[in-house]
Amino acid sequence: MKRNKTVVIGSGRLGANIAAKLSDLGNDVLIIDKDGSSFRKLSETFSGYDVVGDATDLGILENEAFIKEAKEVIITTDSDNVNLFIAHICFFIYDVPNIYVRFSDTDKGKLIEHTTIRAIYPFILSIEDFMEKRVGGIEL
Amino acid sequence: MRIVVVNGTHEADFIVKKFKKERHQLLVINSDKKFGEYISSSNKIPVLFGDPTKAYTLEDANIQGADVLIALSENDIDNYVACITAKKLFDVKRVVSVVRNPKRVDLFRALGIDSVISSTYLLGESIKNESIIEDFIKTISIENEKIVITEIKVEPDFNLVNKKIKDASLPPHLIISCIYREPKAIIPNGETIIEAHDKLVIVSTLEDTDSMIEFIQKRVVPHEE
Repeated sequence: MKRNKTVVIGSGRLGANIAAKLSDLGNDVLIIDKDGSSFRKLSETFSGYDVVGDATDLGILENEAFIKEAKEVIITTDSDNVNLFIAHICFFIYDVPNIYVRFSDTDKGKLIEHTTIRAIYPFILSIEDFMEKRVGGIEL
Repeated sequence: MRIVVVNGTHEADFIVKKFKKERHQLLVINSDKKFGEYISSSNKIPVLFGDPTKAYTLEDANIQGADVLIALSENDIDNYVACITAKKLFDVKRVVSVVRNPKRVDLFRALGIDSVISSTYLLGESIKNESIIEDFIKTISIENEKIVITEIKVEPDFNLVNKKIKDASLPPHLIISCIYREPKAIIPNGETIIEAHDKLVIVSTLEDTDSMIEFIQKRVVPHEE
């Protein structure tokens, strides 16, 4: 089966914006969230698919989110535990080539060592951003 | 053994009581403050209040190298994360998770949880087993349960199939008193050949019932080619 889809799990502000951006760039994007009203956050230019469903259910991941056809998956639900669980499923069960996961708790990163899963930490990005913007930099 | 019990309500209390009685060393973590206090006071042991899916909670509980961790929360995914964290970051030897959704039993195993327990799954299995017993073995006892009459259905792969009773090397203390073979009942002798799908009515003593059932149900071992 051809892996040509981008699957975004969790349609919060981050997930919805990533989905819109990748869709604008010409990717075949599918976004899934268990709450249909969260798709309001998708921009009007979004031309991909939105699917209501629980992505921790293998049946839904396979048949509704087409995870076996995914070239990449971006996991951004509001729960670190759910994100870790889905990332492990995508890596260990479905061999998705590129997996990105958002974690609030940096400790979760230790649980994806020795895998190709890549983590995004808003916490670290905020600190870096702050240090960059701080008047006087690190010297003050 | 050092056993870690995380989350859960009455089942956690039950397990803690059982392990305490067996003199295991217990570490209890609960994210529900009220229930944690209840387990603590009813078993007279310390309970750590915290979220066991967080590495720092497990660190505080000092679970490093424990023999077993049992995760009992109602949330399957929290149980998964607590188990995986304990195994990967704290070298817990064996992690056990309860799951609400029986479809997750195989998935959790594939992802590295050593044992996965679903009460729905177990219920299904045990109903299945009971109905098998119901179908194939019926027992009645007479004379104050000293004599047992058992009815056993013969499956095609039983060792006994197509053997004469006298050649079947039946153990002593049992008699095949009747064979029910659609549509008739046969009172067998040594020359009678046992066929697949027969129902055997066997008289034995109570003590020999288990070994008798085991003997009758012996299956043909396939030859290795």
